[in-house]
Amino acid sequence: MEKCDCKNKVMVPILIICVLLFTYVFPRFVLSNFDASSPWASYCYQYGFGLITFLIGMLLIFKTKAIKLGRGSETIWLAWLIGGFFLFAGGHAIWIYLALNTPVKA
Amino acid sequence: MEAQVQGLNIAPTSLIIIGIVLLTYFILIAWFGGFFTKFSKDVNDFFYSGQRFAWWLGAASMIATGIGSYSYLKYSQQGVETGLSSAMTYTNDWFIIPFFMFGWLPIIYFSRVRSIPEYFARRFNDTARYIALVIILAYMLFYIGYNLFTMGVALEGLLGISMYWSIPLTTLIVGGYVTFGGQTAVIFTDLAQGIMLYIAGAIAIIVGIVALGGLGEWWAWLPVTHRLPFVHLFNDYKFNTAELFWGEALAGSIAFTFMNQGFIMRYLALKSVNEGRKACIFNVLFTLPFSAIIVGAVGWIAKSLIVKQAAMGGALEGLNPIHIANYYHTFLIVVWECLHQNALVFGFVVAALSAALMSTVDTLINACAAVGIYDIYKPLIKKNASERHYLIAARWVSVIFTVVGLILSFSFIGMEGSLMSIHYKGIMLIIPALVTTIFLGAFWRRFNSKAACISMVVGAVLTFATEFSPAMTDLLIDPIANFVLGAGLLSKKYIYMRALFGMIVTALVGIVVTLVTARESDEKTKGLTICTLEDAKKIYKGSDRLNETVGKKVGQLSVEFNQSLKEDMISVSQKTMDQLKAVAEDMIYVEDQRWWLGGLRSLHTKAANAHNKSDDIIMMNKKTWENGLFLDGKKLKIEKIF
Repeated sequence: MEKCDCKNKVMVPILIICVLLFTYVFPRFVLSNFDASSPWASYCYQYGFGLITFLIGMLLIFKTKAIKLGRGSETIWLAWLIGGFFLFAGGHAIWIYLALNTPVKA
Repeated sequence: MEAQVQGLNIAPTSLIIIGIVLLTYFILIAWFGGFFTKFSKDVNDFFYSGQRFAWWLGAASMIATGIGSYSYLKYSQQGVETGLSSAMTYTNDWFIIPFFMFGWLPIIYFSRVRSIPEYFARRFNDTARYIALVIILAYMLFYIGYNLFTMGVALEGLLGISMYWSIPLTTLIVGGYVTFGGQTAVIFTDLAQGIMLYIAGAIAIIVGIVALGGLGEWWAWLPVTHRLPFVHLFNDYKFNTAELFWGEALAGSIAFTFMNQGFIMRYLALKSVNEGRKACIFNVLFTLPFSAIIVGAVGWIAKSLIVKQAAMGGALEGLNPIHIANYYHTFLIVVWECLHQNALVFGFVVAALSAALMSTVDTLINACAAVGIYDIYKPLIKKNASERHYLIAARWVSVIFTVVGLILSFSFIGMEGSLMSIHYKGIMLIIPALVTTIFLGAFWRRFNSKAACISMVVGAVLTFATEFSPAMTDLLIDPIANFVLGAGLLSKKYIYMRALFGMIVTALVGIVVTLVTARESDEKTKGLTICTLEDAKKIYKGSDRLNETVGKKVGQLSVEFNQSLKEDMISVSQKTMDQLKAVAEDMIYVEDQRWWLGGLRSLHTKAANAHNKSDDIIMMNKKTWENGLFLDGKKLKIEKIF
C-alpha cells in the first residue's frame, strides 16, 4: 500500500511563510509595474494568485499520493489539469490582446 | 390597457400568448419529471439514483443547475454595465479543481456519505454535524428563496402578476415533480431544461447580433472597456478583480463545488469517481464558459446597440429605439425588441427563464430533503424504519423545504440593493466558516472535532458580526484587504473580502485549537481525509485488494439467469474477464447497451468466477437483473471499476 507522505513537519511551515510573503509582495509588484486600471494588472493578479492556489493543490495531491502517475488513468487526468490551467490563462491573454488591438467604432 | 414595465410594452394579446406558452411549458415539464417516479424504488434511488449515471448525463444536467433564473437578469445587467468581464465569475474556477478532483470527490464518493453534515458526523462528531447542518441549510434555503424571488420579479414585470401569486405558482410546479420524482426526475428534467436554456439563449444572442448587423459590428461598437475579460483591479467595490478572486474564485467556487449539496448529489449519482472527474472537467472547462455567454451576452449586445444607436442618432433599422432606464431589465427589454415583439418566441425565452429557476430550485429542494432525511429524520426521529417509510418521509420533507423556500422568497421582497448585491452579501456571509472547515477536515488529518466545532461557530459569528458593525469591518477586514490588495486604494466597502476574512478567522481558530488539544485516533479519520484515500477505496470495494489496471468495456452481452449466483454478483467468460482486466471479486458496472440511457438501467456488481459458456453470455441472479432495472431481450455492456 502507498504510504501518504503528509507528515513533513518542516515543509508545511516553510510553505505557509512563502505563501504569506508572496501574498504581500505580489500585489505590490503588480501595481509597481502596471496601472490598476490596466487589464494586465487584473490578469497578473488573478493568474498569479491562481497559480499559487493551483500549485498548492497539485503539491498536496502528489504528496498525499491522491494522484500517482501511471495508476489507472491518472496520468491523463494530470495532463487535463495542467492543460486546463494554460487554456484559461492563454485564452484570457489572447482575449485581452484582441480587445486592445482591434479597431473600435464606438 | 397596456402593461408597462421599465420601457417594455406588452399588449394584452401578446401577454396571453406568453402566458399560454409558459403554462404549456410548466405542464410538460411537470409531466416529464413525474414520469421518472418509477425509477425511485427506495430512498437511495430517490436522492442519489443509486450511483449509476454516465458522466455526460451528470454534466449536462449541471448546466441547468448552475444557471439560476437570477443568472439571466443579473449577468445581463452586469454585461451592459461592465461588458464581457461579467464572465469572470464563470471562468475563474480552475484553480481549486485539483483539490476537488483528487481530494474531495473521491473522499465523499468512496466513503458513501450522503450529505455534508453526515461527513462531519463521521469525520468529527454529532455536534459538528449539526453546526454544519444549520449552515448548509441556510446556504441552500437562501438560494431557493432567492431564485423564487427573482422569478417572481421577472414574471411580475412581464405579465403583471403579483409576486404573491407568481412565486407560489412556480413553487407548486417545481415542488410537485421533485416531491414525486426525486433525483432521477431532477437529473432528467435538468437535462431537458439545460437544452431549453441553451436554445433560448442562442435565440436571444442571434436576434441581437442580427439586429446589430453581424458579429463584426457587435465587436466594433463595443467600447474597449466592455471588451475586456477583467474589470479594474479594485476601484468598484461591487465588482472588482482582486476581491472577486478571494471571494468568488476561492470561497465561492469552493462553496459551489465542495458544499453545494445539490452538486455533490450529482457527483454521487454517477457510476464512478472517474466519471465524476470527467463531469467536473467538462463542467469547468466547457459548460461554465459557455453558460457565461448564454446568460451575459444579451447585456454585451445591449451595450453595442446603445452605443451604435447613439452614434447613428436614432433607432437602428427595423428596431424601436432601445432605452433601458433600469439595467436590471436589460435582458427582457433587449430580447423583446430584437425579436420584434414576437410574443410566441418571447414566451419560449421566458419559459427558459423559468427553466433556469426550476432546474436550480429542484436540485436544491432535493438536496435539502436529503439532508433532512439523513441528518434529521433518520438519526433523530425514526431510526429503523422501512425503505418505503423513508421514501414517503423524503417526499414530505421535500414539501416542507419547498414551503420554507417559498416563505423565505417573500422576505426578499422589499429588500434594498441590486440583485447582485443581495446575492453576494448573503452568500459571502454564509459560506466561509463551513468552506474552511470542510477544507481543513478533508486535507489535514490532525484537524480534530473540537477544532471543527469551535472554528465553525467563531468563524460564522465573527463574519456575521462584521456585517452589522462598521467598526469591526475597519478593525478586522481592512487590514486583510490592505495586505492582499496593496495599500492606499481601497473603497472601505467590502462584499467579497468578508469571505476571505471569515476563512482566515476560521482557519486560525481551527489550527490553534487543533494544536493545543489532543490528537484523535487515526482510525476515526480512515477513508475520510486525503491521506487515507487508499483506505476509502478498500472500504468502498469491501476488499483489501484494488485492481486499477485499465481494461476495456465489453458489450453485446446476453443475460442468462443463474439462481446459484449471489445477488449483485455476475459471471462472464474468461475471455471477457481478460478484456476487462478483471479478476474475481472486482467491482463491475453493468448497464444497458444503449449509451443514450446514460446508465438509467444499470447497477454495480462484483465479478464471480468465470463461466464456461459462450463469450457473449453474462450470468446473474434474477434479483440482480431486477435491481438493474434491465429489460427483457436488451443487451448489456460491462466495465471494471476497480
